Amino acid sequence: MSLLEIDAINTYYGEAHVLFDISLHVEQNEVVALLGRNGAGKTTTLKTIMGVLAPQSGAIRVNGEPVQGLAPYQIARRGVQLVPEERRIIGALTVEENLELAALSAPQRWSLSRIYQIFPRLGERRKNHGNELSGGEQQMLAIARALIRDAKLILLDEPFEGLAPLIVRDLLKVCRLLADEGRTIIIVEQNVAAALSLAQRCYVLNNGHMVWEGTGAALKADPDIMQTHLGI
Amino acid sequence: MVTWALLWAQLFNGLVLGALLVLVAMGLTIVFGTLGIVNFAHGALYMIGAYAGYVAFLHTQSFILAMVSGAAVVLLIGVILERGLIRHYYARPPEDQILVTFGLAIVLIEIVRLIFGGISRRTDEPIWGNGVVNLGLLYYPRYQVEVLGIVTLVLIALYLVLYRTKIGLIVRAGIEDPLMVNILGINVTRTFLLVFGLGAMAAGFAGVINAPIVSVDPDMGAPILIQCFVVIVIGGVGSFWGAVAGGLIAGETLSLTTMVAPDYAQVMLFAAMAFILIVRPQGLFGVKTRQ
Amino acid sequence: MKGYSTQAPRRVPSLLPLIAVAVGLVIFPFVFPFLDGTIDVADRILVWGLFGLGFDILFGYTGLLSFGQAAFFGAGGFTTAYLLAGNITSSTILALLAGMAVAAVLGVIIGLLSLRRSGIYFAMLTLAFGEMLFFLENSPLRQWTGGENGLPGVPKPNLPLGFTTIELHSALAIYAFIAVLFFVGFWLARRIIVSPFGMVLRAIRENVERAGAVGHDVLLYKLVAFVIAAVYGGLAGGLLGLLQGYMPPDAFYLETSSQLIIQTVIGGAGTLIGPLVGAAIWLYLYQILQIVPGLGGAWKLILGLVFVILVTGLRQGIVGGILLVWRRRRARGGQAEAGAVQPIDDAPPPPRVKPDYTKPPILEARDLSKHYGGLLAVDKVSFSVVEGETRAVIGPNGAGKSTFFKMLAGAVQATSGDILFAGAPITGLDAARICQLGVVRSFQINQIFPHLTVRENITIAALARRRGKFRPDMLSRIDAVPGLDDLVRDTLAAVSLTARGDRRASDLAYGEKRRLEIALALATSPRVLLLDEPTAGMSPAERSDTVRLLKRIAAAMTIVIVEHDMDVVFELADRVTVLSEGRKIAEGEPVEIQNNPVVRAAYLGGETEYEPA
Repeated sequence: MSLLEIDAINTYYGEAHVLFDISLHVEQNEVVALLGRNGAGKTTTLKTIMGVLAPQSGAIRVNGEPVQGLAPYQIARRGVQLVPEERRIIGALTVEENLELAALSAPQRWSLSRIYQIFPRLGERRKNHGNELSGGEQQMLAIARALIRDAKLILLDEPFEGLAPLIVRDLLKVCRLLADEGRTIIIVEQNVAAALSLAQRCYVLNNGHMVWEGTGAALKADPDIMQTHLGI
Repeated sequence: MVTWALLWAQLFNGLVLGALLVLVAMGLTIVFGTLGIVNFAHGALYMIGAYAGYVAFLHTQSFILAMVSGAAVVLLIGVILERGLIRHYYARPPEDQILVTFGLAIVLIEIVRLIFGGISRRTDEPIWGNGVVNLGLLYYPRYQVEVLGIVTLVLIALYLVLYRTKIGLIVRAGIEDPLMVNILGINVTRTFLLVFGLGAMAAGFAGVINAPIVSVDPDMGAPILIQCFVVIVIGGVGSFWGAVAGGLIAGETLSLTTMVAPDYAQVMLFAAMAFILIVRPQGLFGVKTRQ
Repeated sequence: MKGYSTQAPRRVPSLLPLIAVAVGLVIFPFVFPFLDGTIDVADRILVWGLFGLGFDILFGYTGLLSFGQAAFFGAGGFTTAYLLAGNITSSTILALLAGMAVAAVLGVIIGLLSLRRSGIYFAMLTLAFGEMLFFLENSPLRQWTGGENGLPGVPKPNLPLGFTTIELHSALAIYAFIAVLFFVGFWLARRIIVSPFGMVLRAIRENVERAGAVGHDVLLYKLVAFVIAAVYGGLAGGLLGLLQGYMPPDAFYLETSSQLIIQTVIGGAGTLIGPLVGAAIWLYLYQILQIVPGLGGAWKLILGLVFVILVTGLRQGIVGGILLVWRRRRARGGQAEAGAVQPIDDAPPPPRVKPDYTKPPILEARDLSKHYGGLLAVDKVSFSVVEGETRAVIGPNGAGKSTFFKMLAGAVQATSGDILFAGAPITGLDAARICQLGVVRSFQINQIFPHLTVRENITIAALARRRGKFRPDMLSRIDAVPGLDDLVRDTLAAVSLTARGDRRASDLAYGEKRRLEIALALATSPRVLLLDEPTAGMSPAERSDTVRLLKRIAAAMTIVIVEHDMDVVFELADRVTVLSEGRKIAEGEPVEIQNNPVVRAAYLGGETEYEPA
């Protein structure tokens, strides 16, 4: 049984049809990349999995159990955790409070010290408010919120967007650590090279349609796909 | 003629009045900050608290019981209203939200008028509130001093709930970004219910303890509601310290103007609001929240 | 959405409502007594109806919910009463005019302060200022107003006719006087609603941001609507004093503002006649229920419950509900076309002429920057576009495209740098002013006026071009605006929505709404059109249709387009500007950009090499 199974979902933004019959599956311990140009429907796919958007048709199963139509908090309690593109750190709360908030409803949680081991920078800034953090620190905190919940499936939406290369490298290291640990991740990233360095398999979306799936190596070996659906 | 004694007395009056305003406005501002709804029935809930306390005190002669039952009755009403009506309005335009809570206020006020009639009533002070105390600078009615103490304790408790408990963590996060709180596995709908209930309870409790100072009648909520709007506009929406600062400023403005020019007391209050609006439209402690 | 009035102004306003109101006013005093009503109650109903006409323009048509209307009712009333009771003037008309003038001045002051905030705040502020006026009347001004006692001794109205003065003493004469004033007030309100000015008010109610973006000075229109409501309130207050021979202080009470709101919502906001119906229900119910034993005290509770139910279920009120049923029935009779989606005219677009790059730029940005706190969203971006060019702005997510775009349109203020249009600086101007100069933006997410027809939508945008930022043409007719008809017709044709002209915008198919979105920008006849992802959310077929449409538009004006779909970009653009991380990293013709390694790297993240997993 796959950890996540998506079967022909269709999602609308108001009246705009954004996802057309998207199907995909993610196995335990797997890192999967979701690629495509801007506006291809990657973020929408993640939001639909998380329950932020409800699909109009199709099925989403987590560990075989259907979750489509559930509220985000119900899906979160089944071990799925979205790390949103805008990070959405609570600015009025400190780093530690942000983490505690995330851990509140988790059936199994990490200790703060374990988080600070992975992100020493967050440990240094634990008393700082969310709105005082730099972009890189915010991203670390966003990922840490998923980790402290011990999420089974982490949905990373553009984790490296707008960050300096040095910070991207640090974050990438953490992501690789998580991948090596066997954590299951779906990553959406404009930075194709970074995404492919993490993922074993990838899916390519275009205009809301699934146009390609395969291994990262196969994708790199296919200049046509790279050009038509990812390149410019 | 303004004397020192008078000045101290008025400053103290302002403090007591301000403290009560802080308590009522706190309920209003937390509900607004978290749920995005300005509850025009908040004044009516304050009034119902006063009546509930009045009835409980009449039958038990225990002011403690009056405070407990006043708060409990209004909490219950708040929960029923949120479940039955308000929650269907979260997604509707602000004008509809205002209109429905405004209509609700009329219904609540008229129900109370039907039961108790329009005459104003008075709750006696508790025995432990009789007499005056020597504050060093002046003699002051004992009950008023106790009210100040009680309100301060309740505000500290509220502060601790908001800033030291898990529920407070959720509420503070919910004020800023309810969707993210939801994504982090927390049932915000239930939190919303709790917040609305707590906000109502704060108003109801304030109604009980203010009953011996002012008279109790069905229309007593409207002036308080309006003053709370002023408090919120001055302090900034959704901010704990904004409500505190706004309430104290409002209380002292009323009280001190009464001393020098009683005719202008209420007018000054609104002038203060207009002034803040011009120089700092988001209020003293106003924060921008995520839409 | 604020779904009140769906009433469509016809080209020639129908006389039917006017005749109906006139006939109603004439027979009312003769019929009402049979229902146990008195002439006095009839007078009061008209006074409240008049008060409600102004409030309906403010709330029902402009969407501004004020809780402070008592201030104007009271101010106008006390001014009129003071002048007459104190014998400062003996002319009823003069005293009423003075009351209206005081209400108007007050309206300007309170309006300027309250309109600084919108929505919930506006309601709270008007409520607070209304109370402030009550306290002013009650204490500091009591030597003139009588404070809690009010002003007695207001003489009966008189009418100077030049050669003689008619004293109106009989109940029927006073009714006639008020009825005539109501009729004039109703006629004026109708004129205002169907005028170009009234159309802009409805645009503000439907979508305030878009009304500004197509070039209307939203704040000024709101203020004028507020003052109109104040003047109606002042007149109604004055009549109340005349009618009673006494001006009561409760005119200033919050109760007065509340009663007005309840009457308007029950009767039906956005119908003009609704507040009158609401007033009739309120005052009649009050009178009738007093007689019924056991119910006397409950009349307000019953009204309150009705009010909550109407707000929850029938938002249009009684009159609105009746109109809705009537229109539906009529629509069912004449429903011929449910209709397939209107296709885009598939005539081939004109051949592209290369723009003349040697000409001076029409739109130029110099070192434009935008900081959000510590975040640099746009970092010293310069670019210039020549007349007739189609320029695409592209870049990865978070590159700063939309911020850059919003700065050009005046929706976001730049932190530093300059924007020039046709050589003149436009930095710091608001969206309405920039639109008036000829630079307009269409939105990524449809910003239309949902409850108005397609034609009305486009008319609103066209009015901004034809009339400027603001014009108080409250008494003229929409078809009197020169050139408007042609502009609307041409715009409808340009986006192939002619056959959809009378549809409500919210009933259009998604692709059609997208075209209406573009049409709203087009109807302002811009020189530079800023398009924000015009093909967002479209199916491939709709996309290629839209590209054809844009090509046709591009033949007539300068276009700057932000777009995700590269096929669209490379098919349309003469030149492409690439942003990444807030900076401009490349600029050139599509072919150059396609082969530019820096651009490829920005999109693919090739700046750093990563080892594979």
